[in-house]
Amino acid sequence: MVAPDLVSEEDIAKLIIPDDLPNDEPSFKAYIEAKVYDKDGHLIQHHRQPMRSLTQYFLALMSIPLIGTFQSSSTNYATGILTNVLGLPSQASNNSDCAGIKWDFSIQLGSGSQEFSLTLSSLAAPIANGTGPGQLTYLSKASSYTGTSISLFITVQNVSGSTINVTEIGTFWNVQVLCGSCATTYNYNFLFSYDTFSTPVSIPNEGLATFQVTLEFSG
Amino acid sequence: MMVGKDIGEPLTKMPKDVYYNGKDVPTFNAYLTIIVRDKDRKVIRVHRQRSHSPTYNFIYLLLPFSFYSTSGAKVTITNTSGGSTSWAPSPSYITYPNTQTNNPSYIIMIQVGNGSQSNPSAATKLAAPIPSGTGSGQLVYGAVSVSSNIAVSGNSAYFYIVQAFSNESGANVSITEIGIITQIQVNGVYCGNTVNFGSLLVWYDVLSSAITVPNQGTVTIYYTFTVNP
Repeated sequence: MVAPDLVSEEDIAKLIIPDDLPNDEPSFKAYIEAKVYDKDGHLIQHHRQPMRSLTQYFLALMSIPLIGTFQSSSTNYATGILTNVLGLPSQASNNSDCAGIKWDFSIQLGSGSQEFSLTLSSLAAPIANGTGPGQLTYLSKASSYTGTSISLFITVQNVSGSTINVTEIGTFWNVQVLCGSCATTYNYNFLFSYDTFSTPVSIPNEGLATFQVTLEFSG
Repeated sequence: MMVGKDIGEPLTKMPKDVYYNGKDVPTFNAYLTIIVRDKDRKVIRVHRQRSHSPTYNFIYLLLPFSFYSTSGAKVTITNTSGGSTSWAPSPSYITYPNTQTNNPSYIIMIQVGNGSQSNPSAATKLAAPIPSGTGSGQLVYGAVSVSSNIAVSGNSAYFYIVQAFSNESGANVSITEIGIITQIQVNGVYCGNTVNFGSLLVWYDVLSSAITVPNQGTVTIYYTFTVNP
């Protein structure tokens, strides 16, 4: 019988998050890209910057394909990370059918800024979907992947009548726990990443812009 | 409105100008920490390195629902036995615990091996897994454990997976590769379309240097996943 290590929790924390590793290739890279087109379809701004601010909800979501949803093979309770961090139920309230989990993303743009925190849940000043003053029309979203990366896209159009400056961007994930005859619908939204642009992205009236968030593991 | 033709064309290669330059702090990191003890439980080696490689299985399972629903695409999930399943997350979602039905999706183990493979992302199994046991070249696998919460320190957060192994083989055993093995099942919400993908390699690393576990010694392996380290 083998027990996990005997060192203290404090010792473990010092060991497992090393700050003295060689400055080699990181495990992960991420970037944000924005392309702005005028009303004639000409590319007028191309902005790209590293992405820096993942929330703790990113870790919780990535735990699902990594460690599954159940605590073990012999218990039908959800992992502590899902219940403690995402607030998901330990069991779907269903005694006859099966339960499953799915998730999807959305990208929101904003015109404010705020200090990052791991539990951030919204943008400082979200730009609403619409055609009114200060609003953008959120068009299609898309996603793609390679073997080691995932890219998320949103296209927006400005028909508000004046230029709109985008200064912040957030990626949201909607997580749903589904079951056949559940009386309760489990539906959660989490801010997965939050970044402010190093320079504002200006979308002229009648212009169009695509925003891309790419997460790449180094493989 | 006329738009440039590059709209909607995904840029799937990392642009050079956002490559890691040694100054920017990456927003996510994964680490391997390996602690080797001798027969007297004395620490004789601590090995630490960055962990790099989610496998294709992991990426497929992480993709958002709309990727599948808008493209109609299916992916091929391949288990450690070589069995494969073509899948999209409708009508069969990754199982979630409920009060009766139990098609569990759960972590099985950190698996260790003494082989290597050059394309870790494409790996579906370890090159040369070390079996659990007391025979020659074997290690006794302890139970895998996952932190029950995400630990937070300032703007940094992490969780870890840990497993211990003992060497009762009678001779040194070397470890050169490590992976995370998870069983994933999917089902429809009315219990139809249940599929057990089996044991999936979802994360894989080749060690930067071999780890030798002495006879009667132990090795404890931590995988740590962190944001904003």
